[in-house]
Amino acid sequence: MLNYYCPSNENLSWIESRGFYLFYTIFLVTYHLILLSLPFTFFTTQMVWTITNISHNLIHLYFLHIIKGVPWISRMDDGNKKETHWEQLDGGVQWTRQRKILTAIPIILFLLTCLYTQNSESHFMANFISLIVVTLPKLPMFHHVRLFNINKY
Amino acid sequence: MLQYESTPYIFNLLFDIIFKAPIYVIFLEGFLLLMVIWVLIHKQTNGSRKLTEEQKKEIIKNWKPEPLVPEVDENDPTLKTRTVEGPIGKYIFVDGHKCLNMSTFNYLGLEEYPQIKKSAIETIRKYGVGSCGPRGFYGTLDVHLELEERLAKFMDQEEAVVYSYAFSTIASAIPAYSKRNDIIFADECVNFAIQKGIDASRSKVVYFKHNNMRDLEEKLIEQHKMDVKKPQKAAKMRRFLVAEGIYLNTGEMCPLRELVQLRSKYKLRMILDESVSFGTIGKHGRGLTEFLGVDKTEVDLISASLEASVESVGGFCVGTHFIVEHQRLSGLGYCFSASQPPLLTQVVITALDIFEKEPKIFKDLNEVCEKVDKKFKELSRFLLRGHPISPIKHLYLKDDKTSSETDEILRKISDQCIKMGLAIVPCAYLPIEKFPQKPSLRVAVNRLLSNEEITKAFNILQRASYEIK
Repeated sequence: MLNYYCPSNENLSWIESRGFYLFYTIFLVTYHLILLSLPFTFFTTQMVWTITNISHNLIHLYFLHIIKGVPWISRMDDGNKKETHWEQLDGGVQWTRQRKILTAIPIILFLLTCLYTQNSESHFMANFISLIVVTLPKLPMFHHVRLFNINKY
Repeated sequence: MLQYESTPYIFNLLFDIIFKAPIYVIFLEGFLLLMVIWVLIHKQTNGSRKLTEEQKKEIIKNWKPEPLVPEVDENDPTLKTRTVEGPIGKYIFVDGHKCLNMSTFNYLGLEEYPQIKKSAIETIRKYGVGSCGPRGFYGTLDVHLELEERLAKFMDQEEAVVYSYAFSTIASAIPAYSKRNDIIFADECVNFAIQKGIDASRSKVVYFKHNNMRDLEEKLIEQHKMDVKKPQKAAKMRRFLVAEGIYLNTGEMCPLRELVQLRSKYKLRMILDESVSFGTIGKHGRGLTEFLGVDKTEVDLISASLEASVESVGGFCVGTHFIVEHQRLSGLGYCFSASQPPLLTQVVITALDIFEKEPKIFKDLNEVCEKVDKKFKELSRFLLRGHPISPIKHLYLKDDKTSSETDEILRKISDQCIKMGLAIVPCAYLPIEKFPQKPSLRVAVNRLLSNEEITKAFNILQRASYEIK
């Protein structure tokens, strides 16, 4: 009665749903444009690109690599209690389409940011560190690995 | 810095950016670009390699299916079943031996009353043998409504709800109220139905030591400290206290007065399972609340089985109107299982008639229980556990042995007793019980036992326990 099996992981099915990448792109572009249009001298083109990149990576980090288990839906089996959302994606199979796209997006965004910040050193360092933080846990060899016990429990 | 005005072409701009950048940046960016391409063209590896026809045949040939039923030892105790013939009354026929019955829960000996059988037969003539479906779906008959009214009146409560199976009564009542974010405090010796109810509620559960109020209070204080730390979570959390009137697994009576004090002190909601105590203790057989003189409003929900002292099927919950009405939609055992057969419902009504007319039977039963308690305490090889007036008593072996050895000895003693004319059985537990119980022989007392019969049972037990080593 208690341990029923649920074949689709509602936890992550929203990533597989239609129009997700359209939403992703529109959201990112709109966010970027809104930041660009803010009438403060602080928001130069370079700064806005860095802010976009870092906040994008922070969202990736929180939703895919920090929260674990099934926080949204009350499911009875807590089998994947210790897996992050990224590890639950596609049932843990590596090199799927979803994983490839989600790995490529931060890198492409980083390269674009580098271009628009003209490789200015401080921007480069900030962006590069944020890229490392979100790309390392996405690599197949870091599946189920917790470096320095970060986020282990 | 680049001057946007002086670079008319985007390519000029790009080249400018790239050539002005330090060399390590260029390398890194080139590496990342290659990595993106590599990631995007990498093929999915899901481990399924292509097999040739021969390899497939080889694998199929080597495959040996596991047997559906594993091989069992022929001497396994579960394979040795006993056959009972005839009605199950004060005496029963087990494997051809006429035995004094101390194994089934007919505390009051109601089958001696002819009106019970008569009323059942009359109801079969009127309604047939079964009800049509669940209570909310063509399964409600006038007898069910009458029974609920009568039970509420008998227990002196606002309303009652009748379930068709004793196990599912408490197992549905607990999850009807307690949900995922709630917390349940329960005694560690609660019976299996309560354990399953707690499991189904998905609440956090804290087990306290058997009848140990100090342990319970410690755990409540601990919880209170956590509540102070997280007031928002605590505001949403409901707290339940689950106990049994008389514990089926130990025969002990719960200290209801202390529980009720803790309930009001720590604002708990109390659920009391009176499966054993209903119809056996108290002046009118209303159970523990009557026996200890606890106010009915102090216990939020009382649930009881109708399969023990009343000898019908089903169970019921009584409480205030709001509490009972909630179960008519949220009690899963009420909503989704067929209602009680009308003839057995009528049997309960007739039993309630007898309860109301002759409250003397409860006093008789208590006296017999006390006599049995006094006599069986003299058993030299057993330790008796249970409240003196509890109709359920447990006999534990005094010798110091492992539980599997004890199981074996108790089973042999039980076999020997049946041969000598006393039906008494070891308590059977499932391996998935929350806390493993000590193996014991369970004594169920019958109101009709005379002094001679108690002495006879005592002698048989004494002799059997000496014959088995």
